Parts: sequence; structure tokens; C-alpha cells
Amino acid sequence: MDNIYEKLKILADSAKFDVSCSTSGVRRNNNGRIGNTQMAGCCHSWSADGRCISLLKVLFTNKCIYNCEYCLNKRTADTQRASFEPEELVQLVIEFYKRNYIEGLFLSSAVEVSPDHTSERILKALRLLRKDYGFAGYIHAKIIPGTSPELVHAIGLEADRLSVNAELPSRQSLSLLAPQKKPEHIFAPMKQITNTLIENRALVGPGTMFKGLDINREINYLDPADGRDIIPRPGQRRTSEFAPAGQTTQMIIGADDSSDRDIIKVSEKIYHTFKMKRVYYSAYIPVVSSPLLPDALTAPPLSREHRLYQADWLLRFYGFDSEEILPQGYPYLDTELDPKVSWALRNLHLFPVEINKASREELLRIPGVGTLSVLRIIRQRKISAVKYEDLKRIGVVLKRARHFITCSGKYYGERNFLPENIKKEILQTGGGTQMSMFGTQLIPSHLASELPISERKAGQING
Amino acid sequence: MVDYLYDGTFEGLLTCIYHNYYGERASGIFPASGYQSHMLGGYKETQTDEKKADRVYDAVARRISEYDLGRIYKVFVSAVPEKENKILNYLRLGFKKGSCISLMHGDPVVFAVQSAEKKVNNEIHRLKGLVRFSAMGSGEYPVYYSSVEPDNDVIQFLASHFCDRFKNQAFIIHDKKRNKALIASGGSWYISSFFSRELPPFSEDEQKFRDLWKKYFDSIAIKERTNARCQKNFMPVRYWKHLTEMQPRTDLDDREDLPQGMF
Repeated sequence: MDNIYEKLKILADSAKFDVSCSTSGVRRNNNGRIGNTQMAGCCHSWSADGRCISLLKVLFTNKCIYNCEYCLNKRTADTQRASFEPEELVQLVIEFYKRNYIEGLFLSSAVEVSPDHTSERILKALRLLRKDYGFAGYIHAKIIPGTSPELVHAIGLEADRLSVNAELPSRQSLSLLAPQKKPEHIFAPMKQITNTLIENRALVGPGTMFKGLDINREINYLDPADGRDIIPRPGQRRTSEFAPAGQTTQMIIGADDSSDRDIIKVSEKIYHTFKMKRVYYSAYIPVVSSPLLPDALTAPPLSREHRLYQADWLLRFYGFDSEEILPQGYPYLDTELDPKVSWALRNLHLFPVEINKASREELLRIPGVGTLSVLRIIRQRKISAVKYEDLKRIGVVLKRARHFITCSGKYYGERNFLPENIKKEILQTGGGTQMSMFGTQLIPSHLASELPISERKAGQING
Repeated sequence: MVDYLYDGTFEGLLTCIYHNYYGERASGIFPASGYQSHMLGGYKETQTDEKKADRVYDAVARRISEYDLGRIYKVFVSAVPEKENKILNYLRLGFKKGSCISLMHGDPVVFAVQSAEKKVNNEIHRLKGLVRFSAMGSGEYPVYYSSVEPDNDVIQFLASHFCDRFKNQAFIIHDKKRNKALIASGGSWYISSFFSRELPPFSEDEQKFRDLWKKYFDSIAIKERTNARCQKNFMPVRYWKHLTEMQPRTDLDDREDLPQGMF
């Protein structure tokens, strides 16, 4: 396979189910050669499926010794195979980057020969890009389960972000659908990455979950469990930049019978244990037929994926825990209403909340009020009361929020303060989330984690 | 009360604001070109005066804040209707309230400025991703040329980002709507009026990398998830004209927005 066009087609097509395309979380200036990265990240294009393109996302090779049931590139699949040469891939990155097509590289791979063999090739390409070409743009590298710790560490020194795919939400599903990927082989590099970040005092955690807390403490070290030593030993601090944008993972939704509650519980555990930046969810699309998998005609569960992302945001930015989002007896998220409204309707005794008195935490829990609105409400309260007419300009979605608030003592919602009435009213006024947005990465990475520049700047100057 | 007319420059606008305080109170500020006089009330054409403009400039920075000075400048480069009056109202309120004006998110006057500024900031951020360079000229150091047609007059705000990123690359970002360009090389830049006449032809490799990019763009989409509305939401159709990947073909001489054939 010599034709670069064909190679690119095959290896991009093989990488398209990798979800993350985020480029946020690290700021670096040009080092004299080429490239920089910005804290907020940057999207360069949007493909026909509405997903953002910010990185050249490719597999190094799609030649695979594994036979994961759900995968397009499983060993027994009859598909075209190709591999990049490191030099060829790096030239592609540089030329695309110079034309401002991309923000950097997302490099994953199928497992050719062995995890270490594949990882060595990945490392070689990344070193070529960083050292020989002086590339200072963004690099996201996938860590293949079973890669030796030395190689994980070496790749982390070149990459901005690392990710190990959790693949499926339960051990049972994993052993059924991806029998060659052992849970221990997935968790070992995840632990190693977290430990190294603690070592470098660089662990940040997901969203605002650990804001204001020092999580770079010995107590948060994870036991490697498989008896292997953690590579950098205690005492070394920030000797080098290791994965400055942290680690993420992704799970396939709808390939097994895990419930939303199972999935959210797993994500919460991942956030608490590994303190990784994000868990991505990928609606299962039947690409291969198998008796173990949903029928080939099953529509991808896009609306389910969408609700899971909303629930995930509640975990990371809004101070909710999984038991609040889906308590015992509620295995699935409501398809009609977003998870925050569902929670509020189950907990009406906590409402209405007075906009001018509520704490930050209470404000964040009001349906229709986002993190930016909370910030603006708190800022304005420093100089004057917030009036009901102000709320729309502040960015509050009143068709949801008005049922749950008072403004200077006055209530603007329904006369009968009952969950059924409020639900009916919200649905009638279109307060449920729009269906057209399904199947998208709802909030672009730069908007999700960062406030607009104007807001940040105002915050700095005016407290 | 009088309508002040100015020459379309930021200094001109600040001069009008000076007159609002030291002369007759303004009923409105409008660009002189395209002004339609009202039945009632008169208008005055102002002469841009740098000294007067400087005094307003300093007063805004000192008595309101540096941040708000930057903010009204962003509104000035925006394409929102009646931007001059939005700025005038904001400054009138700002001189009363001081730096806390930017905290008054619910105020209609502040909201008008905040939304205009947001449009500009969003477009700047969007363009950092959507600018597409083409390599032009032969030899080891081609010039990277890009044409854009932004809604707002924002190319100056792209300078520091791209100058740092492409420190060793000469590049041009050409605003075709306003016939001006950001011209940069070796990390320094200037803005100049610009017509694409003097550009060299495309470099040898250009076609190849465009084709590869288009190939990549088409391959990375998951067809089972096709969602044109969502794509257009993030990347409005008016930007497509200048995006390599959104052209049906990538042929160099096929794209009327590129300067090929104009020289």
C-alpha cells in the first residue's frame, strides 16, 4: 500500500469512532520552530456528522492481532489494511498544520504484533514530530492496553493528552466483547498516568469537581495493583512536561446491556479515582454483525448518548452525584426532559430558590441556569438586585427556570406547584431539549471548560 | 440635541463623544456616509480631532476601565446596527457607574454592548480555526495566503495568534470584503490595503495537500450520524466559500475566491 491518498482514507476511516477531538487544557508558545497551543482549544472544521475536527485523527496502522467483537478492524474482518511510515505521517501533520487545517495530531493504532511493538512505532513518530520538526502544536496519543510502563511514560513526555479506552462499562461486557483486552491492562496505564501527574503536581481533575482542593497529594496515589512499579519515583517534580492536558477515556454506549445508571456510576468512579479530565461516550453503530451485538439495523442510540453527556456535565460542573441523577429504581435517564429538570422535579421540596439570596451551589442546581449565568448573577448581586427581566439578558432559560425560582420574593411559575404540572408546562413551551442537536458534541470543548475571554477578563479586573 | 456625523474611524467616534460632553448633547452618532437626516432635529458633521479623541480615550481607561476601553473598541469593529449609539449609551452609563458597569449584566445598555462584543469575540475565535492557507510561490519558503470575508472587521485580532504559531512562515490573511490584509513575516505584522494582484502562483505541492485534506475530511465523518443542521450550526454556510474542504472539487483554478487568474 504505497498510495498516500488510500492510506489516509483507510486510516482516518478507521479512527472515526474515536470520540475526543478536544484540544484544550494546555497553553504553550512557539518554541522557535512551528506551532503553539491555546488553553481554550480550537475547532478547525465540522464534518458532515456535525462533529468538530480539530486534530488529524488517524490510526498508525489498522493491522490488528485482536479480535474485539464490535470493531471494524478486528483480526478476522475482511477490510483493507494499511500502515503509515513515521516520516510520511509527520509530513502530513506539518503540511496540514501550516495551512491551518488542524490544531495537531490524534494518534491511535490497532495492535500490530504486540502492544509494545505498536507503541514503539507511535513513540518514534511523535519524537520525529516534536524533536526533528520542532512541532509545538497539540498531540493526543492513545495508549494501548498492555503497553509497558516505560513506553507509556515516554509517550506521555511527547503528548499533551493521553487516553486509554475503557471501551465498555462493565467487566462482563469487556470479557464478552473484547476478550483480549483485560481490565487490568486498561487500568494499569490509567493509574500510571494519574500517579505521574500527581508526581508532577499537575493533576487538575474533571471540570470544577475538585476546584479549590489540592489533589496532588500522596493520598491520591493509586496502587499499581499489578505489582509493577510506578515509573517516576516520588521526589521528582516537574522535571519534564508529562501529558500537561491530562488524560481522558471513552466508552461505547448501547453495545451491551448496561443501563444509564450503570454507566454514570462507572464515570463517577473514573472521575473520583483517576481524576481524569473527561469520559467520552460513543453511541454504538453496528459496523459488524455478530450474535453478541445488537442487530445490524439498530439505530445508533444518539438521544441516549446526548442525555448521558448532559448527566456527565452535571457530575463535572454542577456538583451533582450519580445517586442524585439516577437514584435506585431509575435505571435510565428521562428521554423527554434533561437530567437536571428530572432531578428538580423529584426534589421539589428544595424549590423555589430565591435568585438574590441563593448560594453558588444552589444556583447551579436550578434548571435552565448554566455556569455562565450563575457567574453573572453573582457578579450583578454585588452591585444591585437581580430583577426578573434581567434574567433573560443574563442568559437564563426562563421556560425552564421560572418554575423553580423567585425573584425578590415573587414567583413566576405555575399556580399549582406540582411536578406533573411543571413537567407538562415545560414540555408544552418547548423546554425539553431540541432533538436536532442529538448526535453532536453538544458543547464545544472551549465553551464547556472556559468562559468567553471577555467574561474572564472582566472577572479579573472587577473581582 | 443633535446627531453627530463622523468619518467612520474610531478617533472620529471618540471626537463625537467629546462633543457630546463639551458641546451640544448628542441625540445620536452616525457615520457620515449613508446618513439620512430626520425631519426633526439637526445634525453636525464633526472633524476628527486626535487631541479630543485622546482625551476621551484616556478618560474611558481611567474613569471606567482599560477593559471597557477594549470592549467598546470590539463593538466599534462589529457589524451590529447602530453600534455608535450603543457605545455612546454605554459610555454615558459608564462615566456614572465606573468600572462596575461590566457587572451589570441585566442592564439593557450593557447587554447591547455585551452581545455585540460577544459576536466579535466569537468570530475571532471561529476564524482562528477557519482560516485556510494556500502555499504560494516556489522554493523553500512559500508565502501562505488566505482569503476571508468576516462579518466584523477582525483580522487585526488574529495577528498575535498566527504570528506566534507560524513564526517562521510568511503569511497573508486577506479580508476580501474590506480590501485589506494582515501581512506577517518572522513574527511581526502590519495591516495594509490589499488587492491580490501581486501574489505568486500556487506552489507545486498545494494541489496534493488540498486533495489529501478533502479526502481526510470526507473519511472522518460517520455516515450513520449525518447531521447537516448541526454542521451548519457550528460552521455557517457563509464561511464555506473560503474553506478548502467544503468545495465540491479542490482544483486550484476552479475556485473563484482564490486569486488565480487575476494576475
